[in-house]
Amino acid sequence: MNRALEKQLNLLDYTLASLRRRKLKNLGIMIVFAAVIFLVASFQFLTASLTATAQDLLAEAPEIVVQKMSAGRQEALPLSYLAKLEGLYGIRTVAPRIWGYYFSETSGANFTILAVDPALMPKGDRLFQALEGKLPGVGQGEVVLGSGVAADLNLAGRRSFSLFRPDLTLKPLTVVGNFKADTDLLTSDLIFTTPDAARDLFAIPEDHCTDLCVYVANPREIGTIAKKIAALLPATRIVTRPQISQTYRVVFGWRSGFASICLLTALAAFIILAWDKASGLSAEEKREIAILKVLGWQTGDVLLLRCWESLTVAGLAWLLGCTAAYIHVFWLDGELFKPVLLGWSVIHPQLKLLPAVAAPDLLLIFTMSVVPYLAATVIPAWRAAIIPPDAAIR
Amino acid sequence: MRPALVLALCLLTFGVLDGALLWQSGQRRASWPVRMGSAAIATAAMGLTDLCLATEARYTRHPAVSDSLAPFMDHPGSLEHFPTGSFWAWPGENQKEPTP
Repeated sequence: MNRALEKQLNLLDYTLASLRRRKLKNLGIMIVFAAVIFLVASFQFLTASLTATAQDLLAEAPEIVVQKMSAGRQEALPLSYLAKLEGLYGIRTVAPRIWGYYFSETSGANFTILAVDPALMPKGDRLFQALEGKLPGVGQGEVVLGSGVAADLNLAGRRSFSLFRPDLTLKPLTVVGNFKADTDLLTSDLIFTTPDAARDLFAIPEDHCTDLCVYVANPREIGTIAKKIAALLPATRIVTRPQISQTYRVVFGWRSGFASICLLTALAAFIILAWDKASGLSAEEKREIAILKVLGWQTGDVLLLRCWESLTVAGLAWLLGCTAAYIHVFWLDGELFKPVLLGWSVIHPQLKLLPAVAAPDLLLIFTMSVVPYLAATVIPAWRAAIIPPDAAIR
Repeated sequence: MRPALVLALCLLTFGVLDGALLWQSGQRRASWPVRMGSAAIATAAMGLTDLCLATEARYTRHPAVSDSLAPFMDHPGSLEHFPTGSFWAWPGENQKEPTP
């Protein structure tokens, strides 16, 4: 065997034996280190997957959404705006939407009620493929339920239920379908109905809607048309598809409070660990280094020994932390983070996310954890190794 | 058994486990468009703008189309109190609306 390789293997053997001598301490450091890496890696994997899932699922979101604003808040938009938009060159279709929230007093759940004419929407003729049952019919108070709503209402085979109008009269509704489980990340809290039923439920006048979905002839002109709409309709908020996409790129960023807590906790744990290591080796460790030098070891050999020791502890902790994080996020649906991600939500959609584990993420976690640990352990070892052996032993 | 061999076996175990996880991740990614075909139809046909993750507050249920400062707009002096507000970052500059 190559002499250099044999030397490294011997050093590794000695390192592992040395680690084994202080197994309780080293195992403790490794488990704490792995736990910190697990926390950071879980957050990184979860946010990366949420972002990737959002980018994928919302790729066909409306090209432009127009909302009317009043006193800094959104309010119902007059349908007369439709006629104004028709004069704009480059617009293909404008579809009025009616949507809003319904708070269930009995369960404390928030439902999203949405109504739109599928005939005006892209792929509207294929909407039946996203549900089991049939589409709601006009004038009949029919609805399609998301899985979370169906579970919350607990209809137990019944097809009829009622929701309160603003004047507390009851609006009877009939369930004619359920959204497929595959759409859960989009439709879990959704009650889809027809515009007339939604207007009746929310008491929105016939000549108003909640917002407009605008589709343009040339997707490259989304920004230009959005500016034209903003000029034509003052006191409106215009949200474009690229903005929606960009929002989901940043909304799970490291600047969110929970991420900061995770990162700060990890940083604090690491600083304590590094401070403990950098503040110097124990007398026993110094004596060990001195004895090795008396036996003929060079300073470089001692440093190599420490390098192997740190790399073994930190590397195994990194592998353990990242593997556990992957299992936590993609097999256990991020159970530890769910209480913060979902908060007080009563409806809990299934977190079946698109796995997005990128090499840069793993490298970043490695750089943040293993490399500083190596530096924090090797430098004190070098300081101890350059002391004359007789002085260290005394 | 030589200690280095024990470490090598340990690394091999991690290698096999992580390899299997990566393979499974690749399989899930490959089958994603097929499984999520109906979700893409739902997004397009209903004009959906947001994922249904947190349903407790409108700015975390619909971050793309709700007021970006909603946590502090419910009433004068209002403070953010929903737990999900601590997970979701403020969209900030990215929600800047087009101006004529």
